[in-house]
Amino acid sequence: MVRRYAGKIENGKNVNHQENRTFTPRRSFRMPPQIVRLVLLTITIVGSYLVARFFLTPSSFGRYGWYRGEALEELSSRPRSFAGKKACEECHSDECLKLSKAEHHGLSCEGCHGVGQAHADNPDIKIDIRTFSECARCHEANPSRPKWLKQISTKTHYPGQKCTECHVPHQPQEVP
Amino acid sequence: MKTGVSRRNVLGKLGAAFAGIMTATAAKTAKAAVQKVFVSSGAPKGYDPTKHKWLMAIDINKCIGCGLCVEACKKENNVPEGPFFRTWIERYVIPKPKPGSFTTRTEAIVDSPNGGMHGFPEPPVPVGEIEQSFFVPKLCNLCEHSPCVQVCPVGATFDTPDGAVLIDPNYCIGCGFCIQACPYGCRFLNPVTKTAEKCTLCYHRITRGLKPACVEVCPSEARIFGDLKNPVPDDPIKKFYENNRVQVLKPHLGTEPRVSYAGMDKEVR
Amino acid sequence: MTEITNTVIEVLPRFEGYVYPNEAGPHPLWGFLIVLYPYITGLVAGAFIMASLVRVFKVRELEPVYRLALLTALSFLLCATLPLLFHLGHPERCLEIMMTPHFSSPMAMFGFVYAWYLMAVLLLELWFDYRQDFVRWAKVTPGLKGALYHALTVGVTDVSPAAVALDNKLGWILSIIGIPSAFLLHGYVGFIFGSIKANPWWGNVLMPIIFILSAVVSGIALCVFNYMVLTWIRRRPLDVRCLDAMGMFLFYALVVDAAVEGLDWLHRVYSAEEGFRVLQYMAREKLFYTLSIGQATIGTLLPVLLLGSLQLIRRSVPELVRKRMYFGSAFMVLVGVLAMRWNVVIGGQLFSKSLRGVMGYKLEFAGVEGWLMGAVLLSLPFIILTVCIKLFLSESLPVTEAAHAAGDPRLEPEEVVTT
Repeated sequence: MVRRYAGKIENGKNVNHQENRTFTPRRSFRMPPQIVRLVLLTITIVGSYLVARFFLTPSSFGRYGWYRGEALEELSSRPRSFAGKKACEECHSDECLKLSKAEHHGLSCEGCHGVGQAHADNPDIKIDIRTFSECARCHEANPSRPKWLKQISTKTHYPGQKCTECHVPHQPQEVP
Repeated sequence: MKTGVSRRNVLGKLGAAFAGIMTATAAKTAKAAVQKVFVSSGAPKGYDPTKHKWLMAIDINKCIGCGLCVEACKKENNVPEGPFFRTWIERYVIPKPKPGSFTTRTEAIVDSPNGGMHGFPEPPVPVGEIEQSFFVPKLCNLCEHSPCVQVCPVGATFDTPDGAVLIDPNYCIGCGFCIQACPYGCRFLNPVTKTAEKCTLCYHRITRGLKPACVEVCPSEARIFGDLKNPVPDDPIKKFYENNRVQVLKPHLGTEPRVSYAGMDKEVR
Repeated sequence: MTEITNTVIEVLPRFEGYVYPNEAGPHPLWGFLIVLYPYITGLVAGAFIMASLVRVFKVRELEPVYRLALLTALSFLLCATLPLLFHLGHPERCLEIMMTPHFSSPMAMFGFVYAWYLMAVLLLELWFDYRQDFVRWAKVTPGLKGALYHALTVGVTDVSPAAVALDNKLGWILSIIGIPSAFLLHGYVGFIFGSIKANPWWGNVLMPIIFILSAVVSGIALCVFNYMVLTWIRRRPLDVRCLDAMGMFLFYALVVDAAVEGLDWLHRVYSAEEGFRVLQYMAREKLFYTLSIGQATIGTLLPVLLLGSLQLIRRSVPELVRKRMYFGSAFMVLVGVLAMRWNVVIGGQLFSKSLRGVMGYKLEFAGVEGWLMGAVLLSLPFIILTVCIKLFLSESLPVTEAAHAAGDPRLEPEEVVTT
């Protein structure tokens, strides 16, 4: 509930009152104090946000897109566990040659022998030479497996014996 | 009263401009000091991400469900034990329709014991009742319009110029929005780092001329990997597309996945 | 094959059917904390809409709850970020959302919408409303409290009628701006869920609308609840006309909300898209208590019947019975809207994206995503509200003319106070 006054209040007196009719220059527009304070507050808050943003944004951000460009280098510098077949071929070329001529030519060394990067970096670190249980991993009969794969059931196919007694893993058609 | 440009005015303005430039330079130096960051080139040494475009394709006809890929991925990328998989294998078993039911095809029974990491046990229905059965390796589908990248609030997951979709583990806040947004279920929250994680196409291998770990160990060439911008002679990707009719997962969602599946059945989602 | 089977992890009994291996975790990714966040912001938005009914739509009967509604909105808004912060995997990186917001993500909107709503809408509107009171109270209150009031004037101590008129005008403008801002504050949360096309339970164009409508409903119910509790604690008479008005708005808001939620349900059942079967199974088996009983019966049906009957036969119902009915309805609505948030957030994670499996979830007691934390986070706004009431709605402070205009529950109905 605000009562509207007939004129301007200045120094407690109504300047437009009849008794006070001397010429006074029109007072210039005075910004209401609320607006002044609020604008200052807004500028302070928005300003400090922009400053903070300038300092806290990582410098490589935006290089390739909306992400830290350095992340690409960080992600590509992670340590490796698997060496890859080419690394095995460097030292074990004779075995790889024998393998490449047989049915298992497409297999990777590390699929059966385990991770090889540590061994490739330092050959003193030994690598697994797997036993017969690895063969069943691929060759165990399973109706979901495609028909072109040779499958046996370990329950009926010479149970208890090692696969390597009759098969050479690198050259499956050969006998040991 | 003098109006117009006075010496004081001009000097004042120049001084302000000079001060502004000095402040900006000082601020930039201060910023670097504050962040203690030595700005590197951003890309792996000798590798230009704009000169490669990696792609993986899956041949369902060739997958034998050995699970070597799942195991290799976990080893190569230090994925924690438990229900956290960057790649996994699903087995679909479609039983024969019951005699007299005259249905077209029954629904598939799907399972993925521990992601297929140690292979698969006996099928859920006896062999004689199986009409069709196959394995489907699953991974990040490398979407053209990745919904995961779209929803990340801070820019921690992104499309790289060379075709991978990566996560910046030093920037991710762990909100989980991307995990919810991925239609293929290929993302998870790493319980150790508390950030989102997914298949990176073994970015640390492909940028150094190696193959992803899963492709490396796959015994049956079910995973086909190649560089569209630098195809090798006898490019397996080219042969894949020439010899197979392919499908993608959930095309109706408009994510435009780049990973295609040869031999995919209608039951595969 | 048996040796291989032995190394396979046991299928956890939580699942039926097939779920993607990454979904096989012990609990959903977005848990009770994420249920609470939309609940709290919904209460904020709804309470603010209630307050704006007074300022913008000049509903005179609601004046007694105007200030209480704004203070309620403030108390809840101050606590709104806490569930999110506790849920993040890296809360120490939370500032990233303001430093490098990814504008294609609705979640990145959060920082700016929250800051805008808190500072430019709510605090500012409260300030315009309370400023002359702060000036007056700063003069008569000694000690720390007086210093607080003085600080809150932000140095603007002009209480001339022109200044007060400006306060009222700016407050009115803010109320108008505040309505779409409140919708944005809560609507973007609905859009977060509604934009996830990967999830058929969430990805729906009606989701933001349902969120906003249930927010309005919950906000009005909270105002009813707070007003009745406050007057009961202070042993003051209730303004029954105000309560009747709130009850009426609650009823009509509830009807609109129920209609739109019903439309969502009807559309799902009718068009029966790909995921419908698994969603139906999930809703029936896993969400039975929270959906059919919590949200539908307790949260919607019973309050609609109670409030609707009051709309028809209000005059013949004795005041005491009416008050009990309003209180009961408001409480049921509050429970029902919480159940609705649960159904949306948790329900969306109780089925697999393979559309072949469902999962169950039992809320734990302890832990960051447990009952206890939820109870603490829900009681915190009430504690803040108590402090606010003691500071700003205290009975010992002189009430100004302006307070009467703004609406103050301390005043007896029809009481006129001169400055």
